[in-house]
Amino acid sequence: MSNSILVVGGGFSGITAALEAAEVGYEVFIVEKGPYLGGRVAQLNKYFPKLCPPSCGLEIQFQRIKKNPNVKFFTLAEVTSVSGSAGNYTVKVKIKPRYVGPAGADLHELAQELSADVPNPFEFGLSNRKALYMDVPFAFPYRYVLDRDKLTRDDENLLAKSIYLDLNDTEREIELTVGSIVLATGWKPYDVTNLSNLGAGSVADCISNMQMERLAAASGPTGGQIVRPSDGKAPKSVAFVQCAGSRDQNHLNYCSYICCMASLKQARYVREQYPDAKVTIFYIDLRTPERYQKFAQVTLADDGITAVKGKVAAVEQGAGQVLVTVEDAVRGAKYQQGFDLVVLATGMQPSLAGEKTPFGAMVDEDGFVIAGAEQGIFAAGCAKKPLDVMKSAQSATGAALKAIQTVRGR
Amino acid sequence: MAQRIEPDLQFIKELQEVGGESLKKCYQCATCSVACPISPSANPYPRKEMVWAQWGLRDKLLNNPDIWLCHNCGTCSDLCPRGAKPGDLLAALRNMAYQRINPLPCIGKWMTSAKYLPILAGIPALLYLVLWIISANFVAGSAFPVAEGGKIVYGELFYELYFIDPVFVTLAVIVAGVFFVGVRNLIASLKPEGQVLKLGPGADKSWVCCLIDVIKEEVLTHKKFQDCGADKADRKIGHMALFYGFVCLAVVTGLLAAGFWTQMILGWVGIHVHNPFHTPMSFANPNKWLAIVGAVLLLTGLVLLTVRRLSLDPKKSASNYYDWYLLGVIWAVAVTGVLSMLLRLSGVATLAFPMYYLHLIAVFMLFAYLPWSKLGHLVYRTAALTYVRYMGR
Repeated sequence: MSNSILVVGGGFSGITAALEAAEVGYEVFIVEKGPYLGGRVAQLNKYFPKLCPPSCGLEIQFQRIKKNPNVKFFTLAEVTSVSGSAGNYTVKVKIKPRYVGPAGADLHELAQELSADVPNPFEFGLSNRKALYMDVPFAFPYRYVLDRDKLTRDDENLLAKSIYLDLNDTEREIELTVGSIVLATGWKPYDVTNLSNLGAGSVADCISNMQMERLAAASGPTGGQIVRPSDGKAPKSVAFVQCAGSRDQNHLNYCSYICCMASLKQARYVREQYPDAKVTIFYIDLRTPERYQKFAQVTLADDGITAVKGKVAAVEQGAGQVLVTVEDAVRGAKYQQGFDLVVLATGMQPSLAGEKTPFGAMVDEDGFVIAGAEQGIFAAGCAKKPLDVMKSAQSATGAALKAIQTVRGR
Repeated sequence: MAQRIEPDLQFIKELQEVGGESLKKCYQCATCSVACPISPSANPYPRKEMVWAQWGLRDKLLNNPDIWLCHNCGTCSDLCPRGAKPGDLLAALRNMAYQRINPLPCIGKWMTSAKYLPILAGIPALLYLVLWIISANFVAGSAFPVAEGGKIVYGELFYELYFIDPVFVTLAVIVAGVFFVGVRNLIASLKPEGQVLKLGPGADKSWVCCLIDVIKEEVLTHKKFQDCGADKADRKIGHMALFYGFVCLAVVTGLLAAGFWTQMILGWVGIHVHNPFHTPMSFANPNKWLAIVGAVLLLTGLVLLTVRRLSLDPKKSASNYYDWYLLGVIWAVAVTGVLSMLLRLSGVATLAFPMYYLHLIAVFMLFAYLPWSKLGHLVYRTAALTYVRYMGR
């Protein structure tokens, strides 16, 4: 039997679950697939409920991790197999090489010397990066990472000279013995290329809401300037297309919960940056539960922001503008309107959707984790259902308590 | 302004029974109105019909010409995020209209379920059985008469003068009368109280001009089917093949009757002429060629439309008894017609006459019940399209 807890995923839910268990004395292992902790929150410009920049909330969590010897975390790590049962699991974890030592050196200048630019998935294709990179300035661990496959021969020779890198670093496999597992595998933005009637990602100035977060973020590709990807110009009119793939049996058959609030928040980004810009939000229902209702009221009181009831059912490239076609269901009028920038409020798809997991067949048809006390495996955050950051943290705390109950016995 | 909604719950149930069973899934996102390639920009359909149906607003739905503008391509249902099947709802409303606007609504009810099929088929079966017995005893002299040279001539048993034309001419008169009353009821239901306010282009046109325009621009060319989208090409070709198949066969039948009656009437006044369309026509007769072209078009259309209907995703669009009844009857007409010819040529009287008897039953079922079946759209959609043109919608 083991008293330790494994947390799969180092986003806001995973970190919270780990800390809640660690701070009451349990040993916790976080296994994170990416090179940094922080997950989707680290990609946001601001997050709910207080519209803090992510560095604010995450920094506190990172401090708690640093100070707590009970938390051990592995980045670039993936669970490859799980065996055993509740109370006694043997977990194999594969850790990819980082090639960068733990000194915490700022390798920015070295990275700039590299010749090749490679696509940057952290910025959702809005910019490129060097193969030696750090996602955001507040990244944790504060340690560069090398995408070795993307190096040219010259780049390799250059990096071989650096004392902060070890190009001979290799993949490792470790084995952990734990009593319980928390799955905090999070979510991915729904793939816009599936939305054939909404441009399928081929209209340059029709972006996703996560791309909008990166455009608005100070650490993002434009330094926080919201501009059109096609020509870098400031948009004078912006449309938000709600339920882009959500609440749709042809795509995500559920409400992604946060997109209405995300668009209202992003409408504020636009209005704060461009006081003359007009924003239109096309919606089926504006779902702003509980205290978010007030946020919606304040946002919609702005004369520059209009909400139209009607789902956009066609997005096309026009002459210099993006054309959206919609029926205003209140007036009963179908029309086409051009906007400088269109934002698709794409929903949350669980990261495990369509993936083979070593945890057995424990996901529902949408990819959300179904697990329980019997297996001693619990879902936290958006692996369980679409949630905002605050509710993810609550869900993670609940999962931590259940994990503790499993390893201790009630 | 507050408006009190009085839902007609019974109406919602009836609508669900005739093909609108998914209507309550709609959450009014309006994707359908945008997805529809032929829906107008002012008060587009079918989103508004979905909410009227959910609220049981019977009068609004029944007085709405838009259900006839829809050509049922199914694009709205394909894109519907809820599987609410707006296309099926409009089809259901049309099915309901066939029951409502025609006299003798009981015949409309017989179209709703397979359990009434014995009545619909039994009436012509009994009629032609009686005629067969009468002819066998008093006209042809045998139940399976064979003419000189072992040839089978259907006219020997079911002689046009006594058995075919009187029945179908009577039916045609009745059906025309039913359509007259039905069109009057339809237009009356579409008309707002008071004077019709004519808007937009065409406001100065007369009824007749609008009707001619509809036939010229929409019916003959199937333009609306074209507008429904290139991905629905099989539907356009199938429907067009069926339509022109029927046109060919109507011309063939018209010439047969014209030839027969011309010879007959001139014979009464002592003038004897040759009837070029005496049945059975030889394969050298151009009218026979036309008949064969018609039959091939009919079968082509049937295959295309049946395959399409079978391949529909039940999550997106469902076929109901109305749909299959009409397709089934047309299949029966075409198949028994072709087999009647083949069996006649093969000379097996004991098989040929029963097949011709089945053909008569099928043709009777197609024509006698025309106004109440889905094929009623031939007249009612044309009337509604003429009306909306007249209004300027």
